Amino acid sequence: MLRTIVIRVVLGLLTLLAVSILIFAATEILPGDVASAVLGQGATPDTLAQFRHELGLDRPGYIRYLEWFTHAIRGDFGAALTNKRDILTSMTPKFENTMFLAGYAALIAVPLAVGMGIVAAINEGKWIDRVVNIVSLAAISVPEFFIGYLLIFFFAVQLGWFPSLSTVFMDMGFAERVHVVALPAVTLTLLVTAHMLRMTRSSVLSIMSQPYIEMAFLKGLTRTRVIFVHALPNAAAPIITVIALNLAYLIVGVVVIETVFVYPGIGQFMVDGVTKRDLPVIQACGLVFAGAFIILNTTADVLSILVNPRLRKSR
Amino acid sequence: MDNWEQLQQAALTGRMTRRDFISRAAALGIGTSLATGILAKAGYAQTPKKGGTLRLGMEGGSPSDSLDPRTYADSVMIAASLTCMNCLIEFDSKGNPTGELFESWEVKPGAAEWVFNVRKGIKFSNGKTLDAEDCIYSIQIHRGETKSPAKGILAQIQEIKALSPTQVGITLSSGNADFPVILGDYHLVVVPKDFTDWQKPIGTGAYTLESFEPGVRLVFKNRGDFWKPNRGNFDSVEIRNIQDVAARTSALQSGEIDGCNRLDARTVKLLMKDPNLHVTRTKGTGNRFCFVARVTDPPYTNKDLRLALKYGIDREKIIESVYNGFAVPGNDHNLDALNPFYNTKMPQRKYDPDKAAFHFKKAGVSAPMELQTSDGAWGTAVDCAQLYQESLKKAGINLDVKKVSGDGYWDNVWLKAPFCAVYWGRRMSADQAFTQVFGDKSDWNDTNWKDPTFQKLIGDARVETDNAKRKALYWQAQEMISDDGGFVCFAITDYLDGYSKKVRGNEPHARYDLNDNRIAEKAWFA
Repeated sequence: MLRTIVIRVVLGLLTLLAVSILIFAATEILPGDVASAVLGQGATPDTLAQFRHELGLDRPGYIRYLEWFTHAIRGDFGAALTNKRDILTSMTPKFENTMFLAGYAALIAVPLAVGMGIVAAINEGKWIDRVVNIVSLAAISVPEFFIGYLLIFFFAVQLGWFPSLSTVFMDMGFAERVHVVALPAVTLTLLVTAHMLRMTRSSVLSIMSQPYIEMAFLKGLTRTRVIFVHALPNAAAPIITVIALNLAYLIVGVVVIETVFVYPGIGQFMVDGVTKRDLPVIQACGLVFAGAFIILNTTADVLSILVNPRLRKSR
Repeated sequence: MDNWEQLQQAALTGRMTRRDFISRAAALGIGTSLATGILAKAGYAQTPKKGGTLRLGMEGGSPSDSLDPRTYADSVMIAASLTCMNCLIEFDSKGNPTGELFESWEVKPGAAEWVFNVRKGIKFSNGKTLDAEDCIYSIQIHRGETKSPAKGILAQIQEIKALSPTQVGITLSSGNADFPVILGDYHLVVVPKDFTDWQKPIGTGAYTLESFEPGVRLVFKNRGDFWKPNRGNFDSVEIRNIQDVAARTSALQSGEIDGCNRLDARTVKLLMKDPNLHVTRTKGTGNRFCFVARVTDPPYTNKDLRLALKYGIDREKIIESVYNGFAVPGNDHNLDALNPFYNTKMPQRKYDPDKAAFHFKKAGVSAPMELQTSDGAWGTAVDCAQLYQESLKKAGINLDVKKVSGDGYWDNVWLKAPFCAVYWGRRMSADQAFTQVFGDKSDWNDTNWKDPTFQKLIGDARVETDNAKRKALYWQAQEMISDDGGFVCFAITDYLDGYSKKVRGNEPHARYDLNDNRIAEKAWFA
């Protein structure tokens, strides 16, 4: 089992390396560079050359990549090309904000999705199963910004229960944060619940057709007990994987929600980096995103092994 | 609004500025004293009230923002800098340069030698008293080895020196009667000599910076005793960066902010009906939207073809369908009606398919024409180009519209493609507007139209200190661009600001929205 985990981690690191090269290559082949993006329409050949030289953009790409990579593995992401601020310092609070929103949404969404999924499986084919399915599918079928605007319209503009701007500041207390971020957290919950809920329901149901479940029923056990004690442990692996994927989405895929609710997360930070061709910023964000994905997926793999008695024994 | 009842109603609900109200009341034959009485009832105090926190939600900022004036390019940082710092020259609401930290100035004939008098008794937020050296330093950081966008406009300075602690002498390489306008550029904010810590700016403004999260929020606190009477009225000011227009609008509606810039022209009519809000509309001083043809590239070398392209664009239709009516038609040059040298006698060019067809026939051009456009030029450039294509078709002219990538548009398409979409911002002086866009030495002459007569005209006007003579020269210059140039300027947009009803001092301004981005300095709560 230890060996499996080590292999997973090494594979993760290799993926990270590949991702960093891919991101670098992608930004290199985009038209325009940071100098022309920052100076925009007001650029002259003179100021462009001056700016490029100042930033070292007149050197070959692979040298810049190697230089950056050797610094990054020591935890130094360098300074942003645009405003010369240290990237780690400006990125850390934004990453914390993203984690706060993701954690907030996950705390609502994961218990809700798994719970409702199990309820749906217990009551397969009954009205509650149908209602849960229809509501969650409807929520996932509507574009996320639309849900966001609907919530803003009713709960911020009409009722005034929550602010429409979810901007959090460094000096804001925890209770205030929870209140301010409520609307985006609910929006995200509506987005990710359906996927996890349906996966829970279907993997529980697929286990239910196994012979040993039939055996359990024949012993005279109740449906609830069969599901919780016999079916769920064996159905856990795919559920955990789906949860991990959705958690990763909550961290890396919420730039639209950030825009709608004016939330200072890492998504907007990266988009701004892309529009300004701020290579170190894109690289740093890309690495953080890739890291989040890899950590969550590795954790999911390890957890699936731990919860399943048959996988727990080393081969 | 020609009814006294309606007019009073508008004033009482704050839907009108004080000046508008008095002039409209006068038009109805209502005396100023009665009108002022109504205004007092509506809370239009004669002298601004102090106190409160002004919360602004603005588009035009990013996480890479910095308070270093050499990096300013968009509204949030312009407004932020004018909240805690001052410029050398300010503009009044009509766009004329007036003294700010340079109190007054004298010029020798020929407009090349200038003496500026530094305002006395002004203190920086660190206690230092303003002198000539501070002003010179604040200009010099934009010259020499720098990437400052103001570098180009300051290249005309030959020598700059302190004549005394309160006088700055500037000699230009050639005369420029509009030089004070150049010094009013928003990059030229004043800091103490040798100042470099842009994280904590030291200025002479009404407020000092409390905190700054780039792309998120700036907080300012009143530092008391502002040197401009009746200004700097709030206890504190908060500028939030809200890029999404729907988010700005809903924050304004729910009362989370007191003012915002750049309302959406498509929804602003609904907001105007909201009794709690006030919309300030500045007509036709915003961006000039154009399609530019390079007159040195065939087939656009043909003057008749260029005229056909100008008569063949349906300005009214584009303004109605793309800008919801919140723009004025352009007249194929780049001055707007608020510029003192705007040619008011020149007829507005209108959509005329017959004339377009006539000139097209006369040109005898058979080569295919391609217009390159992109949402990287401006958000609706593709829509505008498609409407243009349709209106030309009615005149029997075929135009191919090619949509290109927004990335690198200014780098790869603009100034290179024979016919493409471009927008130009307002320039404060006619000279700047013409020299940058049509000057033979400009790097940005995107039509490549370098008519020698025109160059001489604007050269003469630049050094002419007699305003009547200048006007005649500039009027002729506008006619030349409009009739001969490759510049199809079809719309100049309005600025639309939204405010809560309690905000006063939010009149339109000739330069920028949010009362020249000085709303924090000029406004107050009723």
